[in-house]
Amino acid sequence: MKITVSINLGGYSFNIDEDAYAELKMYLRNLELHFAEEESSSEILSDIEARMAELFRTRLTSYKQVITIEDVRQIISVLGTPEDISDNNETSARDKFSSPGYHRMYRDTEHRVIGGVCSGMGAYWNIEPWIIRIIFIAVTMMGGLGILVYLILYIVIPEAKTTAQKIEMKGEPVNIHNIKDSVKKEFNDVRKNMNL
Amino acid sequence: MDLENTKAQMRKGILEYCILSVLSANSCYASDIIRELKEAEVIVVEGTLYPLLTRLKNSGLLSYRWEESQQGPPRKYYELTEEGRVYLADLDKSWQQLVESVNQIRTR
Repeated sequence: MKITVSINLGGYSFNIDEDAYAELKMYLRNLELHFAEEESSSEILSDIEARMAELFRTRLTSYKQVITIEDVRQIISVLGTPEDISDNNETSARDKFSSPGYHRMYRDTEHRVIGGVCSGMGAYWNIEPWIIRIIFIAVTMMGGLGILVYLILYIVIPEAKTTAQKIEMKGEPVNIHNIKDSVKKEFNDVRKNMNL
Repeated sequence: MDLENTKAQMRKGILEYCILSVLSANSCYASDIIRELKEAEVIVVEGTLYPLLTRLKNSGLLSYRWEESQQGPPRKYYELTEEGRVYLADLDKSWQQLVESVNQIRTR
């Protein structure tokens, strides 16, 4: 037995298995990221959704009324992943979307102890944050200067809020592929927490 | 050199021309265009078509109208604009030239 979800795709309503729904949602999200820089990205997406609905309908009969994960995978192979759609190396999304060599310091509040200053510096220089924390503690004990420096840095360094900023913090070029990886990772974490 | 990549580049270069040619006879909705392009083996994945259609529409070469359908929601029918016809006629000429040039080189 499986739980199904009811969705509206291109004006048709479908019953779809929960795992198939997760896969479909991820695919549409990836397409959305892929077309984000296009002038009429929402129009492109709704055209693709309409086509998807048409393809799904050809796979349903009165004996098979629910869309399964195989159906979703089959349709993805027909429509193509963002990598297939961009079709070649020269003008692929990887080049178009990347801002080369961006490497900035951010506060890493995901791994913070106080304000994420030390963990952010650790991510920036690729060293363990506790080394920086020890230096701060040492400087603080030698006359309190550490606290002042920390406060200034806290104000000056922005927090890494978006996925792109979190990637820049680690010095990786920001492109569609590692944004996708990050989103996928977050998605899987959420799924694990929900025990799906 | 990657053969698949070179082939993909070739296909990509003529795709726009093929779409406009499909639409030169009569207006079609996206799935008709896809069927023709697939039969002629100029596209591999369907998703390639939609951004191109939208771009051609935005640049004034195509327009579309909504048409009721018995099977479901209304469909988008694309057709060439006057500008699109001029553009296509130009592409026809350069395609002809290209074929001649390549043949000339190949038969030398």
